[in-house]
Amino acid sequence: MLRRVVLQTFRQGLAQSFFKRNAASLSESAVTQHPIETSEEASEKSGSKQKNGDESGNTVVVAPPEFRFMYPEFLPDPTMERRNKLKEKLERMDMLQRRSIIEIPEFYTGSIMAVTVADSNSPNKFARFVGICIQRGGSGLQAWFILRNVVDRQGVEILYEMYCPLIQKIEVLRLERRLDESLLYLRDALPEYSTFPFEMEAERRLNNSVVPINPIKVKLRPRPWLERWERQNLQGVEDLNLPQRYYDRAKEVAKPWEKYDLMLQYRKTIPAEEQEKIYAEVHSQLQQQDLKRKIKRRRGPSSEQ
Amino acid sequence: MAVTRFQFLSTFSRQFSSISNAHIVQPKLRIEEIRGKRISIFDKEYKRQQSLIPRLEKIEVAYEGFDNETTTLVMNKGVSTPYNCAQHISEHVMKNSVVAEVNGEIWDLHRPIPSDCTLKLLSMKPEDQHQASLVNKTFWRSCSYLLGAVVEGSFQDDISVTLHSFPPANVRSGSFVYDVQLSLDDWVPSLNDFRQIAATFQKFVRQNHTFQRLDIDSSVALKMFEDNVFKADQIPHIATKSSSGNTVTVYRCGDHIDISRGPMIASTSLVGRCSIAAVHRLDSRIYRFQGVALPSEIYINHFAFGILETRARKLNPARTPELKSN
Amino acid sequence: MNQADLSKLVSALRIAVKPKPRLFASPEGPAGRLRKLKATVTALVKYERIELNYPRAEEAQSYAERLISDAIRNGDCHKHTMEMADYWLDEKQLIHKLFKVLVPRYKEYNSSYTKLVLGPKTYPGYYAGTAILELKGNPFPALQPATQNYHYWLHNVLLGEAKREFRVAKAETNANLSEPVASKN
Repeated sequence: MLRRVVLQTFRQGLAQSFFKRNAASLSESAVTQHPIETSEEASEKSGSKQKNGDESGNTVVVAPPEFRFMYPEFLPDPTMERRNKLKEKLERMDMLQRRSIIEIPEFYTGSIMAVTVADSNSPNKFARFVGICIQRGGSGLQAWFILRNVVDRQGVEILYEMYCPLIQKIEVLRLERRLDESLLYLRDALPEYSTFPFEMEAERRLNNSVVPINPIKVKLRPRPWLERWERQNLQGVEDLNLPQRYYDRAKEVAKPWEKYDLMLQYRKTIPAEEQEKIYAEVHSQLQQQDLKRKIKRRRGPSSEQ
Repeated sequence: MAVTRFQFLSTFSRQFSSISNAHIVQPKLRIEEIRGKRISIFDKEYKRQQSLIPRLEKIEVAYEGFDNETTTLVMNKGVSTPYNCAQHISEHVMKNSVVAEVNGEIWDLHRPIPSDCTLKLLSMKPEDQHQASLVNKTFWRSCSYLLGAVVEGSFQDDISVTLHSFPPANVRSGSFVYDVQLSLDDWVPSLNDFRQIAATFQKFVRQNHTFQRLDIDSSVALKMFEDNVFKADQIPHIATKSSSGNTVTVYRCGDHIDISRGPMIASTSLVGRCSIAAVHRLDSRIYRFQGVALPSEIYINHFAFGILETRARKLNPARTPELKSN
Repeated sequence: MNQADLSKLVSALRIAVKPKPRLFASPEGPAGRLRKLKATVTALVKYERIELNYPRAEEAQSYAERLISDAIRNGDCHKHTMEMADYWLDEKQLIHKLFKVLVPRYKEYNSSYTKLVLGPKTYPGYYAGTAILELKGNPFPALQPATQNYHYWLHNVLLGEAKREFRVAKAETNANLSEPVASKN
């Protein structure tokens, strides 16, 4: 897992690098019991796909249930004031069109990815950046993810918009998940945890049906930190070794009632019926695109070039 | 009524100015004069009948209302009508009652009650199916009557309009009908004409006229309808069919009087949305006017009403009038 | 732009949900708010019809709907649903009622499970009126008269005949269309 730092000249990336400072609130909401349920879903993957394949032969089109984890950006923003059914539908059509041009593979936070973007200032030049996906968010055409790497002992993070037309290629070098949904704590972890070589090659997956969960526990640098990580119930972090008063304070400010607030959960998510409708609308096109790419790959890399 | 009629005539005359080859028969009297004459006879006869009532006697009317609650009202024999009873009960009942049921017999709201009875007041939305069919028929008959009243008054003076009759009310046919003889050959009404007639209908209806019923002797009736050959022709036949053998029932609404066996609705304000759908030419200048209307109590979507309108355009299959000359 | 929370699957509610929750003045803060609503939801499940002030009734209605819809979706073997039922229903025998009585009752419903009716206003007085919140299918007499629309009312007679005529016409055209095809074969 740990690798030595390989230095690369990546001026483009350095220029664009920034820390997403306002991500603290996002990370708080994202850290939930999520990994438990998703892992259950992931283990059921192969079976459910078969079953739904049979069902899709009937008139009712049902997308496989794991689609909502594979393509979460197809779900609209759950904020009720901003909902607009027409806009959402048009955006989904645009997203499918973009996906027909470039491959946006399945990935999760914790996956190691490489993204090639065109330089808007110098034509015919491309910049490739490798890093670990530490957060993923947004919905519709505005969906984004953040890649993090350490280059020249300097932490570099780039936020890519998934449907940005500058993006030329998105590769997943290692498909895996971590114990947490948001890995912003890697900013305060030792640099070896977020250091990945730029010439890293894509790993072959032995078992295609299950996305493995990396159970690694990260060691954080001593304080001061960017955020109060002890308050966030992180799973993928080694014991923080803080004085007891920090934990006491964390207990004081915790909001244990929020998990009982059923309407709070309801307002944060899209109802299941609506999700089914959305994925039923897009899943046949997504699967067709996937199938085409697989056939192309099987014919050999020569035909690609 | 007269004011609206004149307004209408001014717009309507433009429609007919194009018809140059229309065969024009100069009528002897204008329609206002004919109506005035009929009304004077009606008023005279009404006064005569009222003077026949010697002195007021009291009767007990048992009103059966909501949830079979019975109210006993003491009313005047031969003078009080179901409408007067409704005035004692509530404004809602007074405004929404279409017809009454007196001792199980369907009864006009403005017809005096002759003796002790049980009374029910029916609205356009009754719970009972039998009552509903009676109410619907009454409404449809009244609409036919009103159509005749409107058509009679809405043509220019040089076109003679002679009302023939309207067939028995049949709601299922989809349109109410009045057969009218016009002194026009091959008149094809435009869409605008339909709208004009419907507008006059609506204006007439909004004036909130009551339907006044009067049983008159056939001789009086003949005098009343001496200007209308068809009616004068029908009167002896109708009179022999009646219970006493010599009476004819006429209804007055505003300044229009027509023969009908009844019953009719209480007042024209009960008619809501209406549309004149079609005018079909039957043989020899007899035209069949068809329309569709809904009670003011019932609202439906404009699309649904459009469906009813399109259906009402088809020729109504009711029996066609036979003319003696043929 | 937020991403939808994927950790739980919830059924769509059949009532109008406001974009923001109502805030109630409570010295205990949001926890106290939930405690108030908990009492209301418990009472609703227990008595099936309760009278209270409107804002609280409206807010409690959505929580009761969520609880019942979760119980229908997940059943009584689901850990999270059971935890929620345990929290929201103060009296523990009501948990059995939720899963054994209410879930079978509402399984086939296509509408909301609760009904909110505005109560009468006291006169004279300037306070907002009360509201009556009830579970549908309760044993009490109905609050409002059933809306009537009989097939023998005038507009329905007219529309019914129009429908019948349309069907007859359609059947005829279909017969006419199928005839030439049959003759060709």
